[in-house]
Amino acid sequence: MILHRLVRLAVVLLVVTFLSYVLLNLLPGDPTTQILGLSATEEARAQLRQELGLDQPLLIRYAAWLGDLLTGDFGTSYITRLPVAEELAERLPVTLELLVVAQAVALGLAIPVGVAAARRAGRALDQVLTAVSFALLSTPVFVLGVLLILVFAVTWRLLPATGWTPLSVDVGWNLTSVLLPAVTLGCGQLAVYARLLRTDLIATLQEDYITLARARGLSPRRILWRHALRPSAISLVTAVGLNLGALIGGTVIIETLFGLPGVGRLIVDSIFSRDYLTVQGSVVLISVGYVLVNFAVDLVYAAVDPRIRRA
Amino acid sequence: MKRCTILLVSMALTALVACSGPRPVAEPEATSSGSVSPTSGGRLVYGLSADAAGFNPVTDQFASQSYSMVSTMVEPLVSVGADGVWKPYLAQSLKPNQNADEWTITVRSGITFSDGTPLTGEVVKANLEAQKASPLTSSVFGPVESFELAGPSAVKVKLRQPWVAFPYYLATQIGMIVASASLADPKAASRTPIGTGAFTLKQYVPDSRMVVTRNANYWRKGLPYLDEIEFRILPDSQTRAQTLESGGVDAIATTRDEDVVKFGALKDTYTVHRARGMAVPEYMFMLNTAVAPLDDVRVRRALAYATDRKAVIATLRSGLTEEADGPWSKDSPWYAPGGDYPGYDLAKATSLVKEVEAEKGPISFELLSTPDPNTMQGVELAQDMWRKAGIDVTIKQADQADLINRAVLGNYKATVWTQFSAADPDGEYIWLHQSYAQPVGSVALNFSRIKDAQLSSALDSGRSNPQPDVRKKDYATVQQRLRELVPFVFIDHLNVGAVIATGKVRGIGETVLPDGDKALPLTGSPVPYHPFSQIWVSQR
Repeated sequence: MILHRLVRLAVVLLVVTFLSYVLLNLLPGDPTTQILGLSATEEARAQLRQELGLDQPLLIRYAAWLGDLLTGDFGTSYITRLPVAEELAERLPVTLELLVVAQAVALGLAIPVGVAAARRAGRALDQVLTAVSFALLSTPVFVLGVLLILVFAVTWRLLPATGWTPLSVDVGWNLTSVLLPAVTLGCGQLAVYARLLRTDLIATLQEDYITLARARGLSPRRILWRHALRPSAISLVTAVGLNLGALIGGTVIIETLFGLPGVGRLIVDSIFSRDYLTVQGSVVLISVGYVLVNFAVDLVYAAVDPRIRRA
Repeated sequence: MKRCTILLVSMALTALVACSGPRPVAEPEATSSGSVSPTSGGRLVYGLSADAAGFNPVTDQFASQSYSMVSTMVEPLVSVGADGVWKPYLAQSLKPNQNADEWTITVRSGITFSDGTPLTGEVVKANLEAQKASPLTSSVFGPVESFELAGPSAVKVKLRQPWVAFPYYLATQIGMIVASASLADPKAASRTPIGTGAFTLKQYVPDSRMVVTRNANYWRKGLPYLDEIEFRILPDSQTRAQTLESGGVDAIATTRDEDVVKFGALKDTYTVHRARGMAVPEYMFMLNTAVAPLDDVRVRRALAYATDRKAVIATLRSGLTEEADGPWSKDSPWYAPGGDYPGYDLAKATSLVKEVEAEKGPISFELLSTPDPNTMQGVELAQDMWRKAGIDVTIKQADQADLINRAVLGNYKATVWTQFSAADPDGEYIWLHQSYAQPVGSVALNFSRIKDAQLSSALDSGRSNPQPDVRKKDYATVQQRLRELVPFVFIDHLNVGAVIATGKVRGIGETVLPDGDKALPLTGSPVPYHPFSQIWVSQR
């Protein structure tokens, strides 16, 4: 099974990297202009193009890049002239932390909100939570981010508006610097997760074994948290894996908005500066991460619902 | 319940902040207060819009934010004074021969780089040779024949032609001098340049922050005032302004007119510094004079007549800027007044359009724009104005990289553009001279591809003639020809680029040069920059 998945990962990587390589090269604009500036001569540009291998056909360049990748060489950035792997290693912890905290915030709030809404389905609390969920879903992250900064940084001065303190420098300041971006990023997911959990919980609560548990005199709280929640979490777990893509997309905006030096910012900057190899390296990293997380999600299914394990 | 939750969340956040101790490399340290004279010590946190692509003046392309960051560590041979005239900086003197086709640069004695090595004529020569060989800057060194050592502290620059404005170029990236070790290892210099600057690099996290700390052995005694500067990279302009409001940074660089208006109104709390004179770039529509229909001067003049610059300024800049009729602003010593620019006159525009249409048929072309909302708003405004004159314009969005590439290759008809902020008019030579105009498809630095003998001859004379009054006349001719030929539909002098600081930040734009002259307060575009060695913080 693992071998099968590894083969699938390799195929996904091949397709994704080839497509992104082709698409990047279709972008109008010349990397040599970005590197050398406006006043560079035609000769200087031609020489640089040759040095970077940009005068070679696309397929040959892709094959060469792929060959290097297989030996662990992600290439060298056109702009900073640093190894792409080094740049990604510098940025990855920021994005990973942002993603983990955003998911934690989303799940940490979505589970109690979803349970509360399901327990009081159709009543006032459910309707309020539904309205809040839709409001969060329909608010773009950049608007939410600016609003949160206005309230928590400018007005109350509780959290820094922007900037990043690495975990290795100071844990407390690291948490304060990740909190607003993570909440902003997690809010949209929170609404999705809460809605999914509410719907599945309502369905589970109508199952026969729940009626039986009620008949046996178990408390509603125990029934909800011990017997209904786990089997209702399958859709939620699936969404957590699938939404990783949306979250990574969100980091591009969040990292720019809050001035975080993560992979999202690197991708945006590299696209604008036509730094092809850095974008390719980032694409590989994200593709591998996405596939691995969804593989992990499959494993979690069995833990969440024993029926799947037995099957 | 709800109030209780909010209270709990607030308490938790307060506790988190309180337990975290002081924010590392972010909080200003205590400084003496209430004094008007500069006090030493303290820390400045400065918000910039983008990171530098690298700090090596020989191998990395410098944008305005690069100058802010790098100039703390690496200094130029020359600076520009408040009067707009070049002044020696690391150089003790720059002396031309009679024809100005040979310059002797003599550096000051007693200056050392941060690695302890001395600044000598040999190091300067090696730097200039590296710059001449660099593909980034080699085109600027076109008139330079060779560099020769003329003594332990002197370098002779031999030119192929007289070049009176040569020293101005040494006030830019080209004249920034790094130690031999940085020349030997350009890759390392991209991250850690060794210069003679008032600060040395302490920490650099790409796309996040750069921290520089006081150079204890700085050659200018008593400077710098600050102990440390942290440059914070905050790409989003709105959250950058919010960070200033929240106290997260002490100063920001911005190009938003909203910020200039908003913080400018809060005079007790903030100071707003804007560039003036030659340092201000011009916002314009650049027209490709090598392709139809814009190869017809009547069409270009019709576009200028149809453009209501006042309306554009009111819409895009909150009325903050002044209409432009050429590449140099009215408060610059090089500005030549001229009523000959085709100002807004819809009747004249319509008449010219009808005249051309009678000969060549309907006029239509594509206008390039970057996709940001503010620029798009301006482009749509122009489209509407030009349509009223009978010219059909379609808008095409292109990102910065694509737009620049099209301009270089001439693969465009018209585009939004910002340019012309060199300290001396000769700085615009390669962008306007006909020898730099190449056919469409070839790389050309004269992007509008304007070819005019009179214009080019005036540029040549301005480059080579040492007489200030003759140069002034030459550049008046340049302005007159640009008004007549209209390769650019000028809109305004774009001085909304500003540095905004809290009241405690002092000394921005008040730099005194080594020989006692006042320096040009701010320079560069789109965001102006300034030296940092004489900035200080007060806790008044």
